[in-house]
Amino acid sequence: MKLRNPPVNSLSLELLTELVIGLEKLENDKTFRGVILTSDRPGVFSAGLDLTEMCGRNPAHYAEYWKAVQELWLRLYPSSLVLVAAINGASPAGGCLMSLTCDYRVLADNPKYVIGLNETLLGIVAPFWFRDSLVNTIGHRASERALQLGLLFSPAEALQVGMVDQVVPEDQVQSTALSVMSRWMAIPDHARQLTKIMMRKATVDHMIKQREADLQNFVNFISRDSIQKSLQVYLEKLKQKKG
Amino acid sequence: MALAAGRRVPARALLRAGARLGRTQATAGGGDGARRFANHRVLVEPDAAAGVAVMKLRNPPVNSLSLELLTELVIGLEKLENDKTFRGVILTSDRPGVFSAGLDLTEMCGRNPAHYAEYWKAVQELWLRLYPSSLVLVAAINGASPAGGCLMSLTCDYRVLADNPKYVIGLNETLLGIVAPFWFRDSLVNTIGHRASERALQLGLLFSPAEALQVGMVDQVVPEDQVQSTALSVMSRWMAIPDHARQLTKIMMRKATVDHMIKQREADLQNFVNFISRDSIQKSLQVYLEKLKQKKG
Repeated sequence: MKLRNPPVNSLSLELLTELVIGLEKLENDKTFRGVILTSDRPGVFSAGLDLTEMCGRNPAHYAEYWKAVQELWLRLYPSSLVLVAAINGASPAGGCLMSLTCDYRVLADNPKYVIGLNETLLGIVAPFWFRDSLVNTIGHRASERALQLGLLFSPAEALQVGMVDQVVPEDQVQSTALSVMSRWMAIPDHARQLTKIMMRKATVDHMIKQREADLQNFVNFISRDSIQKSLQVYLEKLKQKKG
Repeated sequence: MALAAGRRVPARALLRAGARLGRTQATAGGGDGARRFANHRVLVEPDAAAGVAVMKLRNPPVNSLSLELLTELVIGLEKLENDKTFRGVILTSDRPGVFSAGLDLTEMCGRNPAHYAEYWKAVQELWLRLYPSSLVLVAAINGASPAGGCLMSLTCDYRVLADNPKYVIGLNETLLGIVAPFWFRDSLVNTIGHRASERALQLGLLFSPAEALQVGMVDQVVPEDQVQSTALSVMSRWMAIPDHARQLTKIMMRKATVDHMIKQREADLQNFVNFISRDSIQKSLQVYLEKLKQKKG
């Protein structure tokens, strides 16, 4: 599955919806046991949440958007499919989150391809289920530091801290992902799926239990004048960088 | 005065409970950059311009956590947290060689149950003040830090340790025949992980700087003369993050651990008092204190 939303594969409502529908189709089709998630264009895996969906809109839209973000995580994290992230570009914030939901992460050895949950740098706070995905991957202490400092790890750092499982030359990312996939698909599917659910169920259940409250929190938080201002300032900076 | 389970104790309540403060001088607020406000057991050096205060433990010979020191620490931290000028604290020892030898065994030995209760409440209060602190806490570990010393450093956001093989760090309670409370364990597990904690706690391991770095007990090991400057430079990095977002993130990370302790606080207190009052435990501690006296003498 190749993300294709130029310029930076931001997770627009449209992209989120297509991803969820695509994943659902593949899960329901017994022919398919694995998905490699990657970007259609090397350079950016995904820049994460689409700020234009979170800025200058009304609360009803923020709610619709956040439900879609939650839905994507709920579709990815406990997926019965084997998910391998072939990270062929930078992946801050939501891009990092998507890769964390996968069973395995291969990152291209390009120092520009940083990865991490950098929400604090934008003055916002990653939701608890982002945090859980991170803690389940790199551990509690590393997550405390990464999340508070909003760290974007280079490939070498990402490998060292355990954010990714393998770092390979850029032209080997897709083939490595395929080869990892074969290994995971060699396992009896039934046993593998039950084991995955056993590992992830508590985290998923916790999110489901708090889903409505998390939605309200998001809408209230993002609607605040101060937060809207922060986001507008950030969007302006981005525009100026391009122009 | 009874401390209700689950409520944070205002520092002044600990004062009224009869803590012996000795020659405590009145402390002023942050003031200008260079002015120190003198406490008896904790020296606070505020730098209002930078928004950072250095808190130096000063309880010779080994900065043991006496009731007096605990009280001053809690009061000092509360003041700094309430003063919007200050966003970070560097915790260190006034004298290199020992960061803190941990709990003051003379407070836990040959006293009555009421005193053990008062003491343990103060230990709990310190952890509850440190672990979820809205301040950025950096431990500048310029000496050995077993047991309670290690615990204090684990509550911080970041740990810098001097590269001196004598400066061991770890929760070594089992070596004294006692058991680290569950919230010591939680602080450790949240730092070095479950398996490493199982081994470290059961064996009462005291890690050398190299081992401590390798297991993740500390974040950085630097030459002794660079500990303070490294702590300051780490502090700048943390303080560059929008404070609001950083604080909310820290609470999100630590809330479950803190809530669990608060919920069990009263039971934990009773457990401690019962445990420490046992003849066998009192004997163990007396033997250990004797050995320490003979080592010095």
